[in-house]
Amino acid sequence: MTEAVAAVEIDGVTKRFGDVVAVDNVDLAIDDGEFFALLGPSGCGKTTTLRMIAGLDLPTTGSLRIFGEEVGMAPPDRRPVNTVFQAYALFPHMSVRQNIEFGLRMRRVKGPELSQRVAEAIAMVRLAGMEDRRPDQLSGGQQQRVALARALVNQPKVLLLDEPLGALDLKLRQEMQQELKALQRTVGITFVFVTHDQEEALAMSERIGVMSEGRLLQVGTPREIYETPASRFVADFIGRTNLLEASVESAGAVRLANGARIEAETSMAAGSEVAVSLRPERARLQPRGAASAEGSSLDGDVRDITYLGHAVVYEVAVGPMSVEVRSEGEVGQPFAVGDEVTVNWDRGAAAVVAD
Amino acid sequence: MQPANRPPASTGASGEEAAEVAKRRQGMLLASPGSLYLLIFFVVPLALISVYSFATRTSTGRTSLSGWNVESYRAIGDDVIVGIIGRSAWLATLTTALCLAVGYPFAYYIATRPRHLRAVLLVLVMIPFWTNGLVRVFAIRFLLGSNGPASALSESMGFGTFRILFTPTAVTIGMVYSFLTLMVLPLYVALERMDWSLTEAARDLYASGSKAFWKVTLPLTKSGIVAGSVLVFVPSFGSYVVPDILGGAKTLLVGSYIARQFRDARNYPLGAALSVLLIVAMLVAVALNQRSGSGADSGDRPRRRGRGRAHAEPEPVAAP
Amino acid sequence: MTGTVETGLGQRTRRLLAAWAWVVFAFLYVPIVVLVVFSFNASARVNIWGGFSLAWYGEALSNEVITSAIRVSLIVAAVSTAVSVVLGTAVALALDRYRFKGRRALDGTIYLPIVIPDITMAVMLLVFFAEAFKFIDSFGPRFTLGISTVALSHIAFNISFVCVVVRARLDQFDRTLEEAARDLYATGWQTFRRVTLPLIMPGIAAGGLLALTLSLDDVVISAFVAGPGSTTLPVYVFSSIRRGVTPELNAISTLMLTASITLVLGALALQRRRASASQQTQVL
Repeated sequence: MTEAVAAVEIDGVTKRFGDVVAVDNVDLAIDDGEFFALLGPSGCGKTTTLRMIAGLDLPTTGSLRIFGEEVGMAPPDRRPVNTVFQAYALFPHMSVRQNIEFGLRMRRVKGPELSQRVAEAIAMVRLAGMEDRRPDQLSGGQQQRVALARALVNQPKVLLLDEPLGALDLKLRQEMQQELKALQRTVGITFVFVTHDQEEALAMSERIGVMSEGRLLQVGTPREIYETPASRFVADFIGRTNLLEASVESAGAVRLANGARIEAETSMAAGSEVAVSLRPERARLQPRGAASAEGSSLDGDVRDITYLGHAVVYEVAVGPMSVEVRSEGEVGQPFAVGDEVTVNWDRGAAAVVAD
Repeated sequence: MQPANRPPASTGASGEEAAEVAKRRQGMLLASPGSLYLLIFFVVPLALISVYSFATRTSTGRTSLSGWNVESYRAIGDDVIVGIIGRSAWLATLTTALCLAVGYPFAYYIATRPRHLRAVLLVLVMIPFWTNGLVRVFAIRFLLGSNGPASALSESMGFGTFRILFTPTAVTIGMVYSFLTLMVLPLYVALERMDWSLTEAARDLYASGSKAFWKVTLPLTKSGIVAGSVLVFVPSFGSYVVPDILGGAKTLLVGSYIARQFRDARNYPLGAALSVLLIVAMLVAVALNQRSGSGADSGDRPRRRGRGRAHAEPEPVAAP
Repeated sequence: MTGTVETGLGQRTRRLLAAWAWVVFAFLYVPIVVLVVFSFNASARVNIWGGFSLAWYGEALSNEVITSAIRVSLIVAAVSTAVSVVLGTAVALALDRYRFKGRRALDGTIYLPIVIPDITMAVMLLVFFAEAFKFIDSFGPRFTLGISTVALSHIAFNISFVCVVVRARLDQFDRTLEEAARDLYATGWQTFRRVTLPLIMPGIAAGGLLALTLSLDDVVISAFVAGPGSTTLPVYVFSSIRRGVTPELNAISTLMLTASITLVLGALALQRRRASASQQTQVL
């Protein structure tokens, strides 16, 4: 693929509200046709970033380009993007059809083109027959689809989605995840969506940008983000993990706080304070002494067992530390509380992360 | 459960029924003192005034309760009275329109301030609202009088004294001054409830700032506009104190005219008939408001942002 | 974030809005302030500033007609507020949570005194008292218009206002709190006394404050149902204004202003203290 121009290019953008820095010097390029997630906890600046792309907030400093065109200071009605709002922001005094027509009418689209595009949008989100209802006569899932149609009917170059599934219950949310992915493949445009739900981000997007306290910490594919987190925050925020305090001994080994030496790849200088991120499902539990020589291991005692049906979670006390081990497909009841065990994992299963 | 509930009388098959009867009795008991009072001091007077409107005025100015007729209602068709009613309706309409024009941007400004500032500004609005109405009208009278401070100021600046008092203009100013807060408060409530993500959505869908206002904000605050208009129109139309203090002979309004029938003119039946007319007019206005209000409820209820699941709370864009 | 709600208006429109708001505030406050300032004017001519003086206050307060009017106003306000708070709250409770015969009729009637213009309420009551006295007089005792007819009339409109305010509070009342109290062994009465009443108390207090203000404010109805010697302060002021503007009137008006503003600010302070935990600033 040739170096195409990015769908959204954010260059050194900072947004301040009074004394509060909501977005702190963010650089980000989102490719054409990409399904991109901005992920982070409440107040991390992800929504503000989205709103700046939409033009609903203007950046304090920095540059923002959509398909190469500088739009940083343009009002929202002059940008080739549309938004699916959190809780949808459907106009309550208008019917489904009037809601969907709104953007086209504002751009003076009339006559057969208007009705044809609206009909297509309604068909696309499977809302035929609902055109004359008011938003409050629709279910949550239907409202969500109206919001999608209302944005997509304008044929934006980029679709922005602000916590699009947050207001739906779990089952509907999983359905809509699939639907949104399918929809994005159909229309082929860039989707940028904001979520605080890491599972949703992993399941839906091609790439994820993780934010915290206004900063963009890491951008990568779901696999990169999960398996090689760049920092302690990312490791902790994405999925469950054990973070073991350690310091670097050499390029191939770190020493844990309890003195144990562990083999792990790191490029950080010897002596650096780091943490070892060990995913619970990557660790194995074995009776003490039966450990294989492969990889690394820690000795401890089983302190607690939680049965989840498809998995069993063990909490293992390793000195003052506590390590969670998740075991799936276990047969019988191999361990009990108080058992002396060894936690063991393959080389490369644990990642060394900076603070 | 209910307050002052008695212990259940029995627990048999009729227990539920007995509890129902006891509850009914309890409700009656609670309501009866107030109802009785309202019956004697409101419903009976209302009935009496209706009866009086069909009575005859004797040559001595007394009211004869025999010989029912609709003379008083016929008299309302008289040119003078039609003129008075027309003038009252016109001034009330003008007052309502001015209050809306003045109050909407004002309420809009207050409703869109930061929360703490909003509270302070609201208190500043509430103070005149709670302040003695007569004193406020007097303040206008004092200010606008031909020997008052405003006149003195204009004289010292070389514009000469101004004679605004005892004109319809003075009455309109006084009514706007008296009733403005009645317009601002429902507008404020409607604007404060407004879900501004809707105007953002309109902007996102290519509406300009003013288009977004006319297409989204204004329709969604219709309930406040209607409620405020009724709240201003009703007391303006029946106003007695304001025209009496600020108006002159040319601004005789229906309220003062009714008062006159019960004081100097001693034509109780005519006054009663006008009162009945006024009451009916007000009830119609309020009923219309209620209809449009309930209509707004089904479609125009602004939905608050962030309803729904607990962890779907809107991300605070930035903490204060 | 400044906290200003983003409504999608342009910069210029926003500036105009702000300027307009302050113009309106000036419109609301300038007449009152001018009135207060001139009440301290030493000159007897209302348009010339003759230096600071409290003379008009002295004059007003040594006028026996005025002090008597103040006394009447306070008595009427106190009595009508007390009675209408009790009756109005009871009606609000009954309408909110019971079904009984005549409920619909009561529900409709309770709003009427709020809706109909003062002047019609005034003439209605005037006619009513005239007829009632005629009727009672035929049995012997003689009644005339006086302080009691004023108080009775004020109660008649205040019940409705208290009822509406309390009902608004009951409307947002979370009934599960009462169920929780019953679940925790409270009797019906205890539940009312310990849970319901404290929670609707702000509504009752607001209703009472409204009743007090309306009673102290009323001029039209009082003017019609007051007899000789039972003139309220607003009625006195009203009839004096018709005779002409005097600095003494400025002084009395300022006293009345001070009273109502003190009432509002006191109520707000009380509310703020009570609501400081829930940080809701709700007036009325």
